Amino acid sequence: MRKFMPASELARDERFSQITQRDRMADGRSTVVLNNDQNRRSNNRLTPQRGDASEAARALMHGIFVGEIQALEGAGRTCWDFTTGEEAPFALKLDMARQAWDEARHVEISCKLSDWMGAEIGQYAENTVLFEAACSDDPVLRLAGVNRALEGLAIDVFTTMKEFGEIAGDPYLEFCEDWMLADEVTHVKMGSDWLRKVTENDPERRKKALEFQNIVDKMFSYGGSRSESDESSLMIARRFRELAGFTDTEVDYIAEVSMQALNERKAQIAERQAAVASKN
Amino acid sequence: MAQASKARAPFAPWDRREIAGAFSVEETARRAGHYKWTEMKLFEALGGWIATVPELDVKMRLGTHCYKHAWHAELWHKRLPELREMNPDRLTVPANDAMVRFIDAMTEPEAPEQTIEKLVGVYRVLIPHFISAYTYHMNNTSEITDMPTIRSIKFILQDEFDDWRDGEMLLQSLIDTPEEADRAAAHQARLEKIMVEAGGITGPGSIGFQ
Repeated sequence: MRKFMPASELARDERFSQITQRDRMADGRSTVVLNNDQNRRSNNRLTPQRGDASEAARALMHGIFVGEIQALEGAGRTCWDFTTGEEAPFALKLDMARQAWDEARHVEISCKLSDWMGAEIGQYAENTVLFEAACSDDPVLRLAGVNRALEGLAIDVFTTMKEFGEIAGDPYLEFCEDWMLADEVTHVKMGSDWLRKVTENDPERRKKALEFQNIVDKMFSYGGSRSESDESSLMIARRFRELAGFTDTEVDYIAEVSMQALNERKAQIAERQAAVASKN
Repeated sequence: MAQASKARAPFAPWDRREIAGAFSVEETARRAGHYKWTEMKLFEALGGWIATVPELDVKMRLGTHCYKHAWHAELWHKRLPELREMNPDRLTVPANDAMVRFIDAMTEPEAPEQTIEKLVGVYRVLIPHFISAYTYHMNNTSEITDMPTIRSIKFILQDEFDDWRDGEMLLQSLIDTPEEADRAAAHQARLEKIMVEAGGITGPGSIGFQ
């Protein structure tokens, strides 16, 4: 088995259809809805009050499910791709193996939850961008991109879903999300600790890793679907991010980047709508 | 109750443990180093294969088993300094060149159509050899001086038996045709021959026979 595997070769059964982030963002059924349209909602936060709450929750749960598969694959590949001792410390690889087990349980939980919520495996397309962030040839960059940026996003997603379950009166959903949230906080902390430890005497490498994390953070602001604005589906879970080792400055930065992404996405949609209107 | 000051034998009548054991401190450390090396190679391979198998149930099992073998490697890593090896990396080595060739051959399958070969290597060859080597070690080492090793092996063996059963059941569910049965058997024979050459996970004498 060779080292380093491209996202295009991830093995899947016949139920799965994979798309890229570009395909996803080009999809007209954007999660961001402009609030200048009187016929549509101005609050996009995922709450049971939303008319499309069931469908949106099912879609999000499927997104979590495929994200967990890729997180499992990414953690596993980090165990394989790097030589122990020379390229990655033994203890770091042990942590990645532990994360693989955690992610495997998350796939199991997401399968059960999807079924509970009435969704089927493969009902929605799979965006492989998460695994792409796990393909760096530097293990520190992987930790920054996956454990800090993506698992950080998972904290936001699970917090939103947990609250959704709480408000909707679904203790099964709330229970599962709470357990997964505990694991994600652990993974983010793992990433924070290793980033600090491995780059202790290498400021240049740390800078590069943090830059990569910022790129992934921006990419995963999902065109504004995660921010502190009610116009975004997902909130930023400040308290859990603090527990996971993020500083206030780091969370402020993510909030700012997410808001920028939201505004950029809104501008793009407005532009497209204007173009359509001018044709008519 | 009898008087508290009454003399009692240091070993209760039901405690039949013996001091004698087959392994010196050095030999125990050597074996522990080979266990660690092989458990490491196994958890790395299981981790790498997760992305290459299309079967969702297999993918999840590999992720679970990957951690268990990493934990076994960690147990041996921690045991080595207790056996006077202060640089665990020095003994974290394969038993011989044939063991290196075995791991290379075991980790060769990569294509998504080769799930059977991947599972055969682990669950029909390597794990049965782990079970044998660990059992031999547990049953032959001193039950008093080397109890920490025995305790670790007992935890590890529980995992090995559970994982072997998982893997074997996955294989039985995947092998549907006579051709697939032949494929599984051919790959098993190929790997078993290299393992015979290696003499087992810790080399000749892995299970007592030289």
